[in-house]
Amino acid sequence: MDSMDAYLTLIHSLSSTLRQGWLDLASARHSMGASRINTVLLDHKVHPAATSLLVTQDEGKVDSVEPHFTLCKWASSGNGKCSPEEAKSSQDKLHPQLRHRGSSQLYEEKTLSEDKASHELDDQVQKERLKSLSVFGALVSPKLRTAQLSFETALETLVEIANMRSSMLCAFDKVHKKLGSSEG
Amino acid sequence: MAGRAQIKTSSSALIAMIADEDTVTGFLMAGVGNVDLRRKTNYLIVDSKTTVKAIEDAFKEFTTREDIAIILISQYVANMIRFLVDSYNNPIPAILEIPSKDHPYDPAHDSVLSRVKYLFSTESVASGRY
Repeated sequence: MDSMDAYLTLIHSLSSTLRQGWLDLASARHSMGASRINTVLLDHKVHPAATSLLVTQDEGKVDSVEPHFTLCKWASSGNGKCSPEEAKSSQDKLHPQLRHRGSSQLYEEKTLSEDKASHELDDQVQKERLKSLSVFGALVSPKLRTAQLSFETALETLVEIANMRSSMLCAFDKVHKKLGSSEG
Repeated sequence: MAGRAQIKTSSSALIAMIADEDTVTGFLMAGVGNVDLRRKTNYLIVDSKTTVKAIEDAFKEFTTREDIAIILISQYVANMIRFLVDSYNNPIPAILEIPSKDHPYDPAHDSVLSRVKYLFSTESVASGRY
């Protein structure tokens, strides 16, 4: 029941985020013109998705399959983020020599290098975002940018919903099997 | 007895969409659009001219592609192919029913919640026997 409640809460949050995205998209269409925001302009050339999923499965579980989804946003250039933990571990890999210095100096240098890496990452992500909007022209309405952010947030919520769905279905299968065996 | 090590397999995958124009446009702006070497896309835009067969074909195609992990489908579109959606039982790709601009989400039609609801009703019948 708790899972169902959490699932419905996430769906409600998704609905609000999508509503905001549709509203911003409609505002952008109103200011830029319907001919500038429609699917005819979509990029039909061969290109990979900039935002994808990382799917993890535990092979140790023989009686159930429970995949876990992680969103990788703006990762087509190889510089995007998969998750905060992965971004941090990649920064640690870049600066292993810092571990051998004094603790306070280590902390300051690590903070500065993390900030620098974080800024570089943000710049890359911003470039990918602008590239995605470039199909609609060089100058786009600010509402189109906020719509883009709304749909990005919606994607994050959707991945949470997918993970929750996955665990609910796994639990459902286990209970179903248990009920079947107890009746037999 | 020592527990078995859990070996995790991981792979990169796409998000597919079967939805109305605005929803697809929005998610494409978020970067999920993919066009492969055969010029196949990972989305289908549903409008008034889209036939039920075209939606069924897209659903069957996306559920059999190995590079797709999640399929987003507007709930009103899922209702057009409800039998197909409800009979789909695989964990991957995950089928997520989403609201659309003109059709708000209805939990009564969600295939996952329907299954859980059925389970609770089965359990309450079973427990009533003892």
